[in-house]
Amino acid sequence: MLEIENLKTNFNTYDGVIKALDGVNLKINDGEIFGLVGETGSGKSVTCYSALKLLPKTGEVVGGKVTLNGEDITNASEARLQQIRGGEIGIIFQDPLSALNPVMTINEQIGEILILHQDFEIKKLASEKEIPVYKSEKWKSSPGVEFTIMAFCISFMSLFSMLGQFSFALPFLFVVSLMFLRDYLQTNVPTSALDLMVIDALSRVKLPNPKQIASSYPHELSGGMQQRVMIAMALAGKAKMLIADEPTTALDVTIQAQILQLIKDIQKEEKMSVLLITHDLGVVAETCEKVAVMYKGKIVEEASVDQIFTNPRHEYTKALLNAIPKGGKERLKVPDIGEPGAI
Amino acid sequence: MKLWIYVLRRLALTIPVLLGVTLITFYLSYGMGDPLAAYVTEKTTDAQYEALAEKHGINEPISVQYVIYLHSVITFDWGYSEVVDTPVSEALKYRFAATLELSILAFVVAVVTALPLGIYSSIRQNRWHDHSIRFFALLGSAIPIFWFALILQYIVVELNSYGLLDNWPITYRTDAQLWEIEDPIETPTNFLLVDAIAAGSWIHLKDALQHMILPATVLAYGSMATIIRLMRGNMLDVLGQDYIRTAKSKGLSENQITYKHGAPNAMIPTVTLLGMGFAGLINGSVLTETIFSWPGLGAWAITAMRSLDISAILAYTLFSAFLYIIANLIVDIMYAFLDPRVELSGHSSVAEIVVVSLSVLMLIITFFSTDAAVLFGSLLVILLFSLILYAIGTRFLENPEDSWLLLLFFGTLFIVWSILSGFFMTIIYVSLFIYLIYLGFYWKDVREELEPKFDEFKRAAYQIKRNPLTILGLFLVLSLLSIALFAPWLAPPSEGQRDPMKMEEHWKFNFDFQPPCYFSCTAESGEENGYILGSTQKGYDIFYGLVWGSRTSLDVAVKVVFTGTFIAAVIGSVSGYYGGRVDDIVMRITDVFIAIPGLVLALAIMAITEDRSIEMLMYALIIVWWPGFTRVIRAEALRIRKLPYIEAAKAAGASDFRIIFKHILPNCITSIIVIATMDMGGIVLSLAALGFLGFGGTADHAEWGKLVSFGQGSILAGDWWAFFFPGLALALWALGFYLLGDGVRDILDPKQRN
Repeated sequence: MLEIENLKTNFNTYDGVIKALDGVNLKINDGEIFGLVGETGSGKSVTCYSALKLLPKTGEVVGGKVTLNGEDITNASEARLQQIRGGEIGIIFQDPLSALNPVMTINEQIGEILILHQDFEIKKLASEKEIPVYKSEKWKSSPGVEFTIMAFCISFMSLFSMLGQFSFALPFLFVVSLMFLRDYLQTNVPTSALDLMVIDALSRVKLPNPKQIASSYPHELSGGMQQRVMIAMALAGKAKMLIADEPTTALDVTIQAQILQLIKDIQKEEKMSVLLITHDLGVVAETCEKVAVMYKGKIVEEASVDQIFTNPRHEYTKALLNAIPKGGKERLKVPDIGEPGAI
Repeated sequence: MKLWIYVLRRLALTIPVLLGVTLITFYLSYGMGDPLAAYVTEKTTDAQYEALAEKHGINEPISVQYVIYLHSVITFDWGYSEVVDTPVSEALKYRFAATLELSILAFVVAVVTALPLGIYSSIRQNRWHDHSIRFFALLGSAIPIFWFALILQYIVVELNSYGLLDNWPITYRTDAQLWEIEDPIETPTNFLLVDAIAAGSWIHLKDALQHMILPATVLAYGSMATIIRLMRGNMLDVLGQDYIRTAKSKGLSENQITYKHGAPNAMIPTVTLLGMGFAGLINGSVLTETIFSWPGLGAWAITAMRSLDISAILAYTLFSAFLYIIANLIVDIMYAFLDPRVELSGHSSVAEIVVVSLSVLMLIITFFSTDAAVLFGSLLVILLFSLILYAIGTRFLENPEDSWLLLLFFGTLFIVWSILSGFFMTIIYVSLFIYLIYLGFYWKDVREELEPKFDEFKRAAYQIKRNPLTILGLFLVLSLLSIALFAPWLAPPSEGQRDPMKMEEHWKFNFDFQPPCYFSCTAESGEENGYILGSTQKGYDIFYGLVWGSRTSLDVAVKVVFTGTFIAAVIGSVSGYYGGRVDDIVMRITDVFIAIPGLVLALAIMAITEDRSIEMLMYALIIVWWPGFTRVIRAEALRIRKLPYIEAAKAAGASDFRIIFKHILPNCITSIIVIATMDMGGIVLSLAALGFLGFGGTADHAEWGKLVSFGQGSILAGDWWAFFFPGLALALWALGFYLLGDGVRDILDPKQRN
C-alpha cells in the first residue's frame, strides 16, 4: 500500500540544520496494522508528515521516495496530493480538541471532507431520494455572511430610528424580522443528502445521537467523543489507509482502550491499512501486527509484534522494552546508545 | 434568549461607567478651570461676578453643583453653545449625522480593504508582498493624520490647477451653490448620500461623494493600518494551529484553508479590537473635520475649545464617551456571535449588581429631586470611603508585613514627581555615573556573569541584521536623537535670543513664506541668503523649528512614557496580582478614563484649564495614557499569576513583594518595553495633533505640529514646504519608533526564534 524509501527530512532553525529523518524505510501492506514506536523526537510523526507533505514551513524533504499503490508520489503535484489527503489516506491527530476547528460545527467540518472526496455519492443519494444535495435550509448561507447582513441591518435600523427617520428604518426591520422568523417559515424541508452522510459517518464510529452531535461545536464534546469525530472525519472520504498519530495520548486510560478497539474494528470491517504511531509499547502489543522501532531519525528494527516482544535484536529495542514500568521493579532509563545501527 | 440576557447585562454595566464619566466632565469644568470664564470679561465688576456666580450656582457646595449638573445631563438640558448659537442638544443632533456619515464610510472602507490585505500579507509571510504591505500599514500608523490630509489637499489643488481633475473641492461638505440655491432637495436624515439617493438626484450624490472622498480616505488610512497589522498577526497565529494541519490533511486547497478555516478564527481577536479602532476614528474626526471644514461634531468641538464654550466642550466629551461605550458594547456582542466558545450565561457578581442598581437609583433620584439626590450621593460617598478605609485598615492590621504596599504607593508618587519636576534626569545621570565606576572596578566579575548572555546578544544582533526594517528604525531613531542632542550646533540661536526653544520672527528676506534654498543658502561670498527649508508666515525659520522642536518632542515623549510606564507598572502589577476588590476598583477607574477617547480628553483638559504650556500638555497626556498602559500590564500580571511557577514560588514561601518584583514584573518586561517604545512614537503624534490644533505651547515655541499648522493656510497658494517638512519629521520619528518596537518584539519573543 504505502512504501517509503530512504526518506530524508531536515529542519532549518537558527541553530543550524537538524536532520529529523535520516533515511527511513517503511513498507505497509494492504490490510495490516503497522505500529511505529520510538521515544519523543525520534521522528515518528515527521515520517508521516513528510510522506504527505504536511510539514511546517521550516521543514524540508531533501531525499527519498514515497510510493502509494505503486504510484510515485514524491514529486506529485499539489492537486494530486490534495486528492490523496483525506481521499486515499486519512489522518488522526494527537490532541482532538486542538485539531478540530473551534468555530465550525461538526456537521460543517465533516461535510467539507465529504464534498471534497465523495461529491458523486452525495449527488447520487440526493437524486435517489429526491432530497436537496447540500443544504437542508433554503435560506441559510455561511455564518459569516449571515452575521454581516444581520449586523449591517441592525446598525442601520437603530441609526435611522435614532435620527427619527422611521421610514428609512423599516426595510431593515423587515429583513431582520425575516431572518428571525426564518425557522418558522420554512417547515418540512427534508434533511439534505450531505447531512444524511454526515450522520452516517458519525454513526459508523458508534457515536450515540449523531444528529445532535453533528450540530454541536467541538468544545461541547468530551475528549473521547472528539477523537471519535476525528476518526469519523478521517474515514469519511472513504480512505483505504489510516494514519493514526498518537491517537490515544491525550485521552484517559478507559477511553484509550475504547478508541483502540474502534480503530481495530473499523480496520477489520473496511479492510484498511493502518499506520499507528505511538510511544506506548502496550498499545502496539494490543493492536498491531507488525512494528518498526525508530531512533534518532532511523528505523532500527522492523519485525512482527511477537518477535519484537519475545526476541528483540537491536540493543535500543531491548532497552525500550526494559524501560516499561513493571509493578514493584525498579524502572530503567532508556540509555543513549549513540549512533543507531539498523538490523 | 441567552444572548438577550448578555446584551442587557452589558448595557446595565455601562451605566456606572457613564456616571463616572460625568464625574470627570464635571471636575473638568468646576475643578480645573473657572466655570464662569466664558461669561467674564475684563470689564466685569465684582458685583456682576457675584451675580453670575449666584445665577450659575457656583457658591453652592460642590456636591450640590454636581447633582445639578447630573440633573441637567439626564434631562438633556445640555446648555447653550455660543459658537454655533444653538442649544447644545440641537447642535449635537444636527452635527452627529455629518460625523457619523463620514465615520461609517471611513470604517467600511478601512475594514473592507484591510482584512484581505492582512490575510494576504500573512500567507506570503516574509516575502516582498508581506514586507510592502507591512510597510504600508506602518506608514498608516506613523503618518500624522493632519499631515496626510494636507498632502492630499495639496495634490488635489495641484491636479485641479493642471485641469486633471474636474475642480474637486478640498473643503466643506457640500457645494452650497448647488444644494441651497440652484437645486435644493430635502435632507431629512442629514446623511447626504442617503438623502441624495432618496431624492434620486445624481448630481447631488456626485457632489456629496466628491466632498467626502478626501476626508474619508484620510480617516480610513489610520484605522486600516491598525486592522491590517492585527489581522496579519492573528492570521499568522491561527495558521500555526493544529486544526489548520487537520484541514490540510483533509485535502483542502491552500485557499480553502485560508478563507474557511484561517480567516474566521483570526477574525475573533481582530473584532475585539475594532472598538479601539472606533476610538481612533473619533480622535481622527476631530482633526479631519477641522482641516476639511466638515460641519460635524469634531469641528464644532475644536471651535468651542478655542473660544472656551464650556457647555459645548462638556457635552462633546460626554457624548463621545457615550459613543465609544456603545461601540464597545456592539463589539462585545459581535464577539459573542462570532465565537461559539464564549459563555453568554456568565453570572453577574453581587458587587456588579449592587453597583449597577445603586447608580440607577442615583439617576432616578436625581431626576425627581436634587435635594434627595445630594443626600443619597453623600451617603454613598461616605459609605464607599468608609468601606475602603475599613478594607485597608483590616488588611494592614492583619498582615503587617504588607505595609510595603503603602511604601510602594508613596514611592510611586515620589518618582512621578521627580520625573515631572526634572529632578529625575539628575538621578539617572548620578546612578549611571556610579554604575560606570562600579563596572570599571569589577569588570571581570561582571564579564563572567554576562558570559552566558553573550549568546543572547549575538542572537539579537543576528535578528536585527536579518530584518532591514529594524535597522531602518534604529537608524531613524538614532539620527533624530542626535539632532536633538546637537541642536545648538546644527541651528545656532542668534545672539539676542533669550530662550532657544522660542522661535524667532524674522523680518528680512521680504517678510514670510520663503521657499527652501537647501544647500545653496550660503553664497560664495559667505553671506547667507535664505532659509535652508524655507520659512512660514511671520518668518519663522522651518529648519530652526525642526531642529529645536525635536527637543520638545523628545522631552515630552520621554517624560510621559516614563511616568506612564512607572505608574502603570506599579498599579497594573499590584492590581493584577492581588485581583479581587483592589483589581475591581482599579479597573473601574481605568474604565471611566478609557471611555473618553484620548485626544478628546486631552483637548478638553487643555481647553478648560486655559493653560497652553508644554507642562500642562504633558500632564494631559499622562492622564490620558496611563489607563491604557495599566490595562495591558494588569492583563499580563493576571496571566502570569496563574502560571505554575508562581504557584511554585508561593509554595516555596516567597513573599508577595518578592513575587511581584522578582517573578511578575520581569516577565511583563517584554510587553512593557515594546509598548513603551511604540508609544514614544504615538505620544509625539498626539502632542503634534494638540499642537496643530493650537494647544501646544506658546505661539513661538518650537513644536512640530504647530509648524505644520502654519503651513495649512498656504496650500491654495502652492507653498508646500511650510507644512511638508515638519510633518515629514513627525512621520519619520513615529516610523522610527514603530519599526524599532516591532523589531524589539521580534527579538524578545521566544516564539520568533526558529
